Amino acid sequence: MDYVSPFDDRAREVHALAGRPAALEGRRVALLDITKARGDEFLDRVEALLRSRGAQTFRIAKEAFSRPASTDVIEEVAIHGDLAVEGLAD
Amino acid sequence: MESAALTVTPLAGGADELRALARSRPLLLVFAHRDCPTSALALRHLRAAGSAEPELVIVAEEPPQEAARLMLRAGLRAPVLAQEAPFAASSELGVEAVPTAVLLDPGGAERERLVGWDRAGYERLLGVPLPADGPDRKPGCGSRAVEPPQAGGLDEPEDMFERGFTDGLPVVPPTPERVDAMLAGRDPDRSLGRVPPSHGEATLSRVAACAVLAGCRPEYFPAVLAAVEAVLEPSFNAHGIGVTTQPAGVVAIVNGPARERLGLNSGMGALGPGSRPNLTIGRALRLVLTLTGGARPGGLDRSTLASPLRVGLCLAEAEERSPWEPLHVERGMAAEQSAVTVLAADAPLSVSDHRSRSPEELADVLAQAAGATWSPYWWPMDDETLIVLCPEHVDTFAAGGWSKQRVRHAIFDAACRPAASLRRGEATEHVYAAADDEPVHKWTDPGRILLMVAGGEAGRYSAVFGPCDGMGTSAITREITWTT
Repeated sequence: MDYVSPFDDRAREVHALAGRPAALEGRRVALLDITKARGDEFLDRVEALLRSRGAQTFRIAKEAFSRPASTDVIEEVAIHGDLAVEGLAD
Repeated sequence: MESAALTVTPLAGGADELRALARSRPLLLVFAHRDCPTSALALRHLRAAGSAEPELVIVAEEPPQEAARLMLRAGLRAPVLAQEAPFAASSELGVEAVPTAVLLDPGGAERERLVGWDRAGYERLLGVPLPADGPDRKPGCGSRAVEPPQAGGLDEPEDMFERGFTDGLPVVPPTPERVDAMLAGRDPDRSLGRVPPSHGEATLSRVAACAVLAGCRPEYFPAVLAAVEAVLEPSFNAHGIGVTTQPAGVVAIVNGPARERLGLNSGMGALGPGSRPNLTIGRALRLVLTLTGGARPGGLDRSTLASPLRVGLCLAEAEERSPWEPLHVERGMAAEQSAVTVLAADAPLSVSDHRSRSPEELADVLAQAAGATWSPYWWPMDDETLIVLCPEHVDTFAAGGWSKQRVRHAIFDAACRPAASLRRGEATEHVYAAADDEPVHKWTDPGRILLMVAGGEAGRYSAVFGPCDGMGTSAITREITWTT
């Protein structure tokens, strides 16, 4: 029996995950704050740990936690960072 | 096709291809199909086979997708060969019934055969104990090689669940004929936009499929389309509403002549069961978000508890029972236009008040109830709250000669507390920064309070729909158009 599917069944391009870095020394890590309450505290801790392992860090924030990151934010992470950490949820 | 550890391989050839598989090791081939309860019984028990030798291989007399469903339904993870008409392998091996187990030696020679379900026989061939539940022996059914599938053998409601065409409730199967009737000549490929969070394209055919699944009649489809257009407005933020941990339901409110044309209930029980258009239009909208948009509960939908409102809700305003202009007119439409207003909201909080005799008292009762929504100490909120006033409550306001705007301001003014009393638990930065005695309102602006009228004539129960705070969502109103 044929049915009309409610799904968008078109094949999507699958992107492989980037390889895990062997070391953090000298790597630039973007710390993306989605602007939810206390996300900054979580990123503060992560930032201290990353720096203690020789990583360079920079902070960036989404405009609103309830919306996808803007292209500008994504580009800044991609251009200036080798790695990214996102502080998600509450 | 592949699903978790399940791999289904089409069987192109006949018996020789099966014998070739046994070249280096013994194989236990089990022939089965999905219309046979004994096959299902056997496959369920064979879950216990594990990695026993001989290796278990299921030969499903089904196309690959049906073969996968047969296995998923049985919960069996084993290699599956999908054999389609004319079922050459079954014919050549003389398989006349399913389940039939054929044990092949390395090299492909048949050593033994079991027909039907025979627990002890399977245990002997596999060398492992099988679950003791159910019958020890059971006759099988005709193989598709000798008994072609009968029309009507498909269990359609179950098939819909297996395809994932559901919100958890049974659905109406979206056959091409039903979807065509829903479309009523509209272009099936026209798109209303991409639906977050998975950005599925909301073609009219997919939206129509959702409307069929929900149980809509074709005449409801214009309201469904207007509601989908509304939630796809960027300022509604369907992405946030779809993926949030909040309960976040969507309320669709219909105003204007469409209410009568579609038979929508605005009276007794308007927020509950009993009216097909109310229930199915709201459900269709939710199915578009869930199925086309990919906001699947437990998947991208991360709602902690969700609420019954997240199944979907549509209601009409009882405009004739209201002394005020209806919601859509307040929002810029003409009274004779039909419109749907969508609003993201928490589940409704019922407010009983059978004692207030003045508009001031009643406004205060509603304000205190609304003050507890979202989080009791989270003041002010910058999001919209919907208050559905029942007819008897509206009469109290009307008897005092109050305008809608006066009611809104009275509720706003009554939901006001000194900042010091709000510094507990989930409280805003605003109340921590304010002086102790600074008055803080529940909302940033009276305009955040939406008022409408609905409900039965008897009983003084209104309802407050708290907001989806922090979602940056706004109520959106769209005209319902009848042209195709």
